[in-house]
Amino acid sequence: MTSRSSSLDAVVAEVEARAGAGLARPGVAADAIDGIVPGIVAQPPTPVALATTLAWATETGRTVVVRGGGTKLGWGASPGSVDLLLSTTAMNAVVEHRHGDLTATVQAGATLAETNAVLSRHRQWLPLDPPWSDRATIGGIVAANDSGPRRQRHGTPRDLIIGMTLARADGLMAKTGGIVVKNVAGYDLARLLTGSFGCLGVILTATFKLAPLSEASRTVSVAFPASARCGPLVADLLAHASTPSALELATPPATMLIRFESVEAVAVEQAEHAATLARDHGGTPVVLTGEDETAAWRGHDARVFDREGTILKLTIMPADLSSTLAWLDDVATARQLDYVVTGRAGLGVLFVGLHGVVSEQATFVTALRERLPVGRGSATIQRADPELKALVDVWGPVGDGLRIMQEVKRRFDPTGTLNPGRGPGGL
Amino acid sequence: MDAVFLAELERIVGPDGLVRDAGDLLTYESDALVRLRERPAAAVLPDTVDQVQQVVRLCHRSKVPFVARGSGTGLSGGALPHPDGVLIVLTRLNRVLDIDIPNQRITVEPGVTNLEVTRRVASSGYYYAPDPSSQVICSIGGNVAENSGGAHCLKYGFTVHHVLGVEVVLPDGELAHLGGEALDSPGLDLLGVIVGSEGTLAVVTKVTLRLVRRPEAVQMLLVAFDSTDAAGNAVSDIISAGIIPAAIEMMDRTTIRAAEAAVHPGFPDAEAVLIVELDGPRSEVVALFARVEAVCARNNGWGVQVARDEAQRGRIWMGRKAAFAAMGRIAPNYYVQDGVIPRSKLPEVLRRIRQLEIESGLTIGNVFHAGDGNLHPLVCYDAAVDGQADLAEQVATEILTYCLDVGGSLTGEHGIGADKACHMPKMFTTADLETMQLVRAAFDPDQICNPDKLFPTPRLCGEVPGPYRAHPAEIAGLIDRV
Repeated sequence: MTSRSSSLDAVVAEVEARAGAGLARPGVAADAIDGIVPGIVAQPPTPVALATTLAWATETGRTVVVRGGGTKLGWGASPGSVDLLLSTTAMNAVVEHRHGDLTATVQAGATLAETNAVLSRHRQWLPLDPPWSDRATIGGIVAANDSGPRRQRHGTPRDLIIGMTLARADGLMAKTGGIVVKNVAGYDLARLLTGSFGCLGVILTATFKLAPLSEASRTVSVAFPASARCGPLVADLLAHASTPSALELATPPATMLIRFESVEAVAVEQAEHAATLARDHGGTPVVLTGEDETAAWRGHDARVFDREGTILKLTIMPADLSSTLAWLDDVATARQLDYVVTGRAGLGVLFVGLHGVVSEQATFVTALRERLPVGRGSATIQRADPELKALVDVWGPVGDGLRIMQEVKRRFDPTGTLNPGRGPGGL
Repeated sequence: MDAVFLAELERIVGPDGLVRDAGDLLTYESDALVRLRERPAAAVLPDTVDQVQQVVRLCHRSKVPFVARGSGTGLSGGALPHPDGVLIVLTRLNRVLDIDIPNQRITVEPGVTNLEVTRRVASSGYYYAPDPSSQVICSIGGNVAENSGGAHCLKYGFTVHHVLGVEVVLPDGELAHLGGEALDSPGLDLLGVIVGSEGTLAVVTKVTLRLVRRPEAVQMLLVAFDSTDAAGNAVSDIISAGIIPAAIEMMDRTTIRAAEAAVHPGFPDAEAVLIVELDGPRSEVVALFARVEAVCARNNGWGVQVARDEAQRGRIWMGRKAAFAAMGRIAPNYYVQDGVIPRSKLPEVLRRIRQLEIESGLTIGNVFHAGDGNLHPLVCYDAAVDGQADLAEQVATEILTYCLDVGGSLTGEHGIGADKACHMPKMFTTADLETMQLVRAAFDPDQICNPDKLFPTPRLCGEVPGPYRAHPAEIAGLIDRV
């Protein structure tokens, strides 16, 4: 045994003393984040064990990354070092489902799919449908404020969260919000932690308002001869009384998926209405239900998220949809980049899957950001080779709020323990 | 406040924008929580964002506290002035800056009233969803500070769900833009913390709001019950049936009678009434409305009135919204709290309140957002009778304790302010509060931005409890502090 590995053993023992026996091990290649292998991986079984382990890391000057299902670990800047990777997956209980109140409290390490399986016993769900929901955990989804097509109706974790417990870098555990749907007592730290990418604290449990499962669903799948037809259909749909639960586009080839969830008669009626409008706009609609509908949505998700390569998240003003799609096509073609776009056509939130020469991709991202003044849109890199991350900042400009964000980070995590340098603006 | 400071203030806002005479300052001594009064050293009425910045910079340099105020309709003393500080009155910042219908957004200054936003976009078929009962007069800046709700939050959420971006003047006088017109601006969600921070982090000078398309159909019914239990059960059953109405409001016998006496909305003489409003696509509203009627019938509801047109709807809402003011016909004074409970606990908590009414001898009216579990107990008293005001405050505090006992909150929409700051340790541990203070310290290290609000301080509350220690159950890993 070399002296290095014996010192590693000693550290593992230190972590095990806090996280629990047999619950810490040296990191291996499969744990790597952008090629950086964590020193130790620990999987504390309880919030207190996690908080205690975190406090030890902070006191001993180690850097910490928190991992749930590991589906979004590549988001953010490449880490300089990861001394300790804290896994939340041993804390995976649905703590309480108050079905009469339409709320639930869930531990951070539970997957969304497990959570919704439990909630479905009372015909309710946590209405989020981000990518990889069979593996993605509640903690990770909240920390990234991730969502999916049904954001159109239900919003993001930020809109649904009503309470949280968290462990601070110094190991202190704190609560914010509560279990009631309406509550303005104190600062809303749950929203601050939502989308904070693990930079401020570790989410232990989250409490959400839920939605009833809908009785019926129909999806109108529309094929268009050109993506330019999507924008006008979206505007037309939303100007009518149409209330889709998802309003998605994908291109190339240009298609839209428009979902209606309600009581049977209403889902059917709205789907037929949308199909008629789609024909008026030169599209070819098909109304889907049952397994065909499920398969269409699975395929839609896979178009960007299940393929290799770079993923960009793009937010724009919703009315700029057509001009943005045209621009993307022009520039990608000129730079010989292969691309596919999917996303929330009614909200101006798009995901771009990108393939091609890395320097051309970097130029593409930079040019895209030049089109988007801070506050009127953004282009962030969600997944990329470290090579691309080295060429362009993954987050892009944050604006004049950065100074105060840095100050918040400094107060929550003065030693720079949590996910240092990886968050927006280098937090 | 020294003469040099006052002269400097006057240079910034002009003689017309500075109020310093005791008589003129009377207007600003309190917000709608008139029980708490304090005269500010000076009040300023800036015309421009630049003036706000200059005033805040001046305060920052001199370490003088400042408090921002909108229309003064707040119910928790959030805009209570500081005796040694400057009150920054934002009513002159009342311009609508941009209406962007294609993107369903509007950008306004903080002094614009809530209802004005809807008025400006109504002709395009849109409206602004949060509708606090003071919406005719309350300001958007105040709504942002308090995370205001209203009757329709059940389906549409609160201010925080409808604010996309803000421009703020930080306590050091620098400008920052948080959120934006597009969604998901990169960076920490400081916007989510600013909303509901009760003016303790920054002064909001510009707000971009999301507009909502008017629903195709709205239907409302009013239904009577022989007990608040039955009405409470009907609320739970509606939610359990998977129906999310736009609003579910409850009134009890006391508030029904008060409203009836004041504005004659034609409410039945019952122990409780529910007002249920559904909106959305016409066919959906029709289908769900029938189910709501069936749920109410199953819970022995009677005297159903279905609002057939806008006029009838207006009449019923008028009856509901008049309830507060109408309490004046029952008692000379009343004390209102807005604690929240899980909605399934409504029958239980209402029974406890009824018992408290009997024990205290004070009439307690209940009119509230039942769908959200957001109570508004109106504790009636006569200030002229010795000791009744104190008794009323004790009774109201006791009701808050009931709310916390069942896992609820001190406030659903009125805010903590100066009113309930001392109650915060009942709901949050020292660790919780200290963590919130980290945010405060990041924004306002000098504690000059609306100090003495929201957090308990020894000055306000006497000695505050010592540092929080984990409960053995917590150490064992049971999370029951949620």
